[in-house]
Amino acid sequence: MALGADRYASRGDTLVFLGCVLLSVAAMSLPERIRDPLARDLRQTVLAPFLALQQQTELLSASLERYDAVVAQRDSAALAATFLPELRGENARLRSLLGLGTRLSSGYVPAEVLHEPEPTSALTFAVSAGKKQGVKPLSAVVSPDGLVGIVSSVDAKTSVVVSWAHPEFRASAMAADGSVYGIVAPHGTEGPRIWLLELQGVAYRQLVPTGTMILTSGLGGVLPRGIPIGTVVGLAGEAEGWERTYLIRPAVHPAAVTHVMILTGPPVRGDLRSLFQSSGETP
Amino acid sequence: MRRSDKYRFYVILAALVVLQFSVRGRLGGDRVAPDFLLLALLIYTIRARPGPSAGVGFLVGLLRDALTPASFGAGALAHTLVGYLSSWSKAVFFAENLFVNGCLFFAGTWCRNLAVALASGKIKGGLLGWELLVWSPIQSLTTAVAGVLVLWLFGRHLAIRLSDA
Repeated sequence: MALGADRYASRGDTLVFLGCVLLSVAAMSLPERIRDPLARDLRQTVLAPFLALQQQTELLSASLERYDAVVAQRDSAALAATFLPELRGENARLRSLLGLGTRLSSGYVPAEVLHEPEPTSALTFAVSAGKKQGVKPLSAVVSPDGLVGIVSSVDAKTSVVVSWAHPEFRASAMAADGSVYGIVAPHGTEGPRIWLLELQGVAYRQLVPTGTMILTSGLGGVLPRGIPIGTVVGLAGEAEGWERTYLIRPAVHPAAVTHVMILTGPPVRGDLRSLFQSSGETP
Repeated sequence: MRRSDKYRFYVILAALVVLQFSVRGRLGGDRVAPDFLLLALLIYTIRARPGPSAGVGFLVGLLRDALTPASFGAGALAHTLVGYLSSWSKAVFFAENLFVNGCLFFAGTWCRNLAVALASGKIKGGLLGWELLVWSPIQSLTTAVAGVLVLWLFGRHLAIRLSDA
């Protein structure tokens, strides 16, 4: 049978339509006291299962969103946890540095080490303080644990530091009790020996026990007196029976340093030893 | 006509009603998501006579008004008009064609929104223009796309002449 021919609106259809229109108009003109209870009854009867379905769907949707949020938070926490040991270490270093700064009280400039991803970055490195902050060439660069190096060149806002591992580094040094004096230099220029220091020029008759703390002597006027350099770990050699050389484990590894202090002026006290000895007590 | 086909027709309409209250909230904003309830009505009117279409439209509109009592009756009037005119015009003017049916869904949705807006009197001025020229066409389009999809997927089951039932 062809579509449409029997589906034109008959009189009955028109009457139904007009009736529905009239009912609609009547519904529109209902006062609130009738309209609201009617709407409420419809919601609580015919529409109730559909509204329940909608509510469940919304709950499910919200649960899925919450689940995504929880997973995202968990992933963020896991990612943050991977950096936790590093952050703790950096926090401890910064606290030590702050403690050292308080004890120095003046004559220093804090700086951040600008590490470069190169194998030689531990020999010389840049720091984020320069002429503008009062940094001068040959200033001592220290960390809470001891000597890191000296400033070799200064730019406006940055400086280049020669660490103790550099082959050209030299420092006048002494034993902690002041009984022995010598010159500290890198133990080697290649291989693992580059990360050790040696105390040269010690008179043959003077013995330095293992474990002796070696400090800067202040002779020559370049480095202040009393900055820890390292600890004697053994005898490195003897020369012609009149000189001994001792091996020193450095107090600071340049590659592990992230923040330093550059000593820019005369310290409050002539000997800085006490400042570094109390650095370990700082919380 | 087989009895099972008639059941399938109503199952599809019921599925559309369920979609209205379940997944519609996840298909974008309320003003742009396809109106599955109206789509069910329009699909019904394609095969039904104008009188029953107007009656079903009135009931659908009244139920929707229960959810928005501020414009109570406006939805009933709008759905009655759309149901009647859709069924009547489909019988008089339109051929059996997917694109034509899509146009019918689009026009039906837009006219429903126009009738609700005018009958309720709640939207006026620039808001009425935005509603009729921006939001309503978008919703009409999404509804038409959904309707075409339903006809394309289940057209065989929907090709039931209710007047013969």
